[in-house]
Amino acid sequence: MEKKKQKILMIEDDPFTRKLYRNKLNLAGFDVDEAISGEEGLNKVRAEKPDLILLDIILPRKSGLDVLIELKGNEKTKDIPVIILSVLGQVQDIKKGLTLGAKDYLVKSEITISEVVAKARECLKNKKL
Amino acid sequence: MRKVDPGKIKMAGIVSIVSHQFKTPLAIIKGYLEVLLSGDCGEINVSQREYLSDALENVKRMSCLIENLLDISRIEEGQFKVKLRAVALEKITEQVLKNLSTWIKANNCDIVLKKPKRLPRVLADPDKICQVVQNLVTNAVIYKTSRGKVEITLKKVNKEVLFICKDNGVGISRKDFDRVFSKFYRSEDAIELNPSGSGLGLYISKAIIELSKGKIWFTKNKKRGTVVTFSLSVAD
Ligand SMILES: Nc1ncnc2c1ncn2[C@@H]1O[C@H](COP(=O)(O)OP(=O)(O)OP(=O)(O)O)[C@@H](O)[C@H]1O
Ligand SMILES: [Mg+2]
Repeated sequence: MEKKKQKILMIEDDPFTRKLYRNKLNLAGFDVDEAISGEEGLNKVRAEKPDLILLDIILPRKSGLDVLIELKGNEKTKDIPVIILSVLGQVQDIKKGLTLGAKDYLVKSEITISEVVAKARECLKNKKL
Repeated sequence: MRKVDPGKIKMAGIVSIVSHQFKTPLAIIKGYLEVLLSGDCGEINVSQREYLSDALENVKRMSCLIENLLDISRIEEGQFKVKLRAVALEKITEQVLKNLSTWIKANNCDIVLKKPKRLPRVLADPDKICQVVQNLVTNAVIYKTSRGKVEITLKKVNKEVLFICKDNGVGISRKDFDRVFSKFYRSEDAIELNPSGSGLGLYISKAIIELSKGKIWFTKNKKRGTVVTFSLSVAD
């Protein structure tokens, strides 16, 4: 029986970063959907009900943290796990992200792409149980 | 490395020292990528080429950013120097358009240059003015949502030559005409259309024009888009 692929929504404005993660996540067996602004991200979450969200923080129009607040404040979306993937690596940034309900906070320059995929897998495995 | 008393360096000085230190490793990465892309270390396949080219493009993006940061720290320390001499603005403009022509086409844009048969030379630093023209043209090409039409006009008015660049892009609201010249300012439109910009181009351009004793300003394009103009004094 063909297993349905799990869907990851990546909210990220930089095209190179999107391409990098899209390819790697596809290879790892995930479906990847993309949004380039906070606003578009929220629309896609509502329309596509992803299993996991990879969220950048510095985004045009609506920051990643605002997106997170809206997601967590809505019954329909509050249980979708969110992993923040950002260049901001100060302790207070990380604290803020986690306090607002992110499952994990990964700093782009400190983590390899394979580690991001592993985190995503782990997150989705727990979700199924 | 320069010898400095750590207690005495100002922020701008730190930026300048650190930026210089970034240059070496970046140049090395760039060189290695170029060697790999050339095939000198063995043949590479299409997708390897694509990844390496992306990496190279981003190394260049970073080098540009560092050059900009260095310019800014020089400007703020009063160390930014322009060497004024008589230059032909139309030659510089033509050269910039020629260098960018492939990129302009790829970005779905047409540019026309209008100039009189004879234009006097202006007082300017050719390399620096080249940087200004390049930034203004790139902005005019990038900040649009449909096919771009850009018109550049050069003309003499009294004792000055004006460079006028008119585009049909997303435009700038009147209240932001001054703000766009401040460091790091970028509109939401701009961030979406060109995530890799740094918001430094106009700040540096303004410094260059003012050090050349000229002026630079924005006005509205009657139909749609923006007009940016700079003036420089006639040299001869
Ligand atoms: N022709 C234009 N049409 C619309 N907006 C413009 C135009 N030129 C400049 N802007 C606005 O002014 C901002 C600052 O421009 P500037 O050239 O200084 O920086 P940038 O283009 O964002 O980045 P970079 O430093 O890479 O040039 C832009 O981000 C954009 O919001
Ligand atoms: Mg610019």
